[in-house]
Amino acid sequence: MRTRRTRDAVTGWALLAPSLLGTVVFLLVPVGVALWLSLQRWDLVSPARWAGLDNYATVLSDAGIRHSFAVTLLFTVLVIPVQTALGLFVAVLLARRLPGSTFFRVLYVVPWVCAPLVVGLVWRWVFDPSTGALNAILGTRVEWLTSHTLALPAVAFVTVWTQVGYVALFFLAGLAGIPAQLADAARVDGAGPWRVFWSITLPLLRPTTSFVLITGIISSFQVFDTVYAMTGGGPGGATSLLAYEIYSEAFTALRMGRAAAIAVVLTVVLVVLTLAQRWWFGRRTTYEVAS
Amino acid sequence: MTRRTAGVVGTYLVLLAGAVLALGPYVLSLLTSLKEPAQLARRATLTWPAPWTGQNYADVLGGQYTLVPALVVTVQVVLVLLVGQLVCSVLAAYAFARVPFPGRRLLFGGYLATMMVPQVVTIVPLYVMFAQAGLRNTFWGIVLPTLFGSPFAVYLLREHFRAVPQDLEDAARLDGCGTLRILRHVVVPLSRPVLATLAVITVVSQWNNFLWPLIITTGPTWQTLTVATANLQSQYNGNWTLVTAATTLAMAPLVVLFLLVNKHVTESISLTGFR
Repeated sequence: MRTRRTRDAVTGWALLAPSLLGTVVFLLVPVGVALWLSLQRWDLVSPARWAGLDNYATVLSDAGIRHSFAVTLLFTVLVIPVQTALGLFVAVLLARRLPGSTFFRVLYVVPWVCAPLVVGLVWRWVFDPSTGALNAILGTRVEWLTSHTLALPAVAFVTVWTQVGYVALFFLAGLAGIPAQLADAARVDGAGPWRVFWSITLPLLRPTTSFVLITGIISSFQVFDTVYAMTGGGPGGATSLLAYEIYSEAFTALRMGRAAAIAVVLTVVLVVLTLAQRWWFGRRTTYEVAS
Repeated sequence: MTRRTAGVVGTYLVLLAGAVLALGPYVLSLLTSLKEPAQLARRATLTWPAPWTGQNYADVLGGQYTLVPALVVTVQVVLVLLVGQLVCSVLAAYAFARVPFPGRRLLFGGYLATMMVPQVVTIVPLYVMFAQAGLRNTFWGIVLPTLFGSPFAVYLLREHFRAVPQDLEDAARLDGCGTLRILRHVVVPLSRPVLATLAVITVVSQWNNFLWPLIITTGPTWQTLTVATANLQSQYNGNWTLVTAATTLAMAPLVVLFLLVNKHVTESISLTGFR
């Protein structure tokens, strides 16, 4: 009995060792280092100096960083409702299982499979004022990506464009999990298609919707590649989303401490969001249907 | 026309419009990459290439801008990470699923918690750590942070391993199989679909990875395909016939791979992201 337990302990820890090593060294230690860095003033060249909470004070007061938080929030507000609604819409159409649905489903996911960086470059060409496709189609000469008002919506549009097919996959799976007899019963009771959608489909999709919303928000708070490829954060910081701001603080301005402080604040926001969603989701009634 | 056929026609029209939107940029940029720079400069953006030319691809693949070394680096990185991530995740997931070692529940809770740590917070400290360790601009510098798998992969595999019938494992153990042989001959073969999905996710995400290779590499020796493409664009800004050739080349292998295994992937993305 005793030997069996020892053997299990040895086997378990041995199997776990590589993964655990990786998680500790490349995930947990960096989080600790980030916290330490956020309390330093360091340009990677001269020795690091203790800065106390100065970097956090800067994060809260610096106009550029506050602007970056605001831009990120606005970006999320632009992206999330549109991408979720469109994803659901596409999923409902695909769920009708008309001939050819598989073809469309695969097609819509292609933008998601391609590297966001490369997709961003392709769209940078599409938006190019002189030889780009968009102005050629519209017959205009709009400077999309160098305009203060249009650049952020353009980046948001490309983000939605890459995500819709992917979001639709989750809604498709959610729709497939709803028993048909519920909608049938409602129809027998005289409910029209809209009524069935609002009163049956949508409430039963709540777990999927909740998942899609929260993972969407978390990833939209971390968009980097698309910004790097399309605008480089410009014009004048108009598209400087937080991940890009962290990158340029760290590797252009060489302010490691400040970059780490922004990252820590962003992480706290994301963790709170995740926990709030879990709590909210756990609190709500779940609809159990015997099949 | 009845209401039903009207609905079907409407559905197809919307789906087709979506397809045009999804494919449009690819088709147009592919056509651009087959044009001569002079033709594009005349604002002939929406016309067929005249004449058709493969010169942009020849330039991007050979000569001074060559993407070939970056392609080789990317393939190496993806292969090493694929093996490393799958092996480490399978071992750890099996320990969590079937080996009752002390501390298992606590540790698994810790793994779940680490799934909340966003990449954006680890990137700056990782760079500092790797710079101190002299790993900047090396092959291992690129692969090490993700070589040992992700908590997400462990979590996903554990769920599947728990569904493998215990009787099969017990029978194999009675026949004298050790843990590793059980893994190789019972658990892994029975989990082939989820392993394939995980493999595809790994390949796609590593092929497309940009931020980490961007900061950990300098110069052409170790740059990956995404980094090389970005550099090419900033170096030849406005030279869109060349840049679209590069973007097309950078995307083509993955799109082909995806179209080959698409049914599998689209059906299981929901399975992996969810539950």
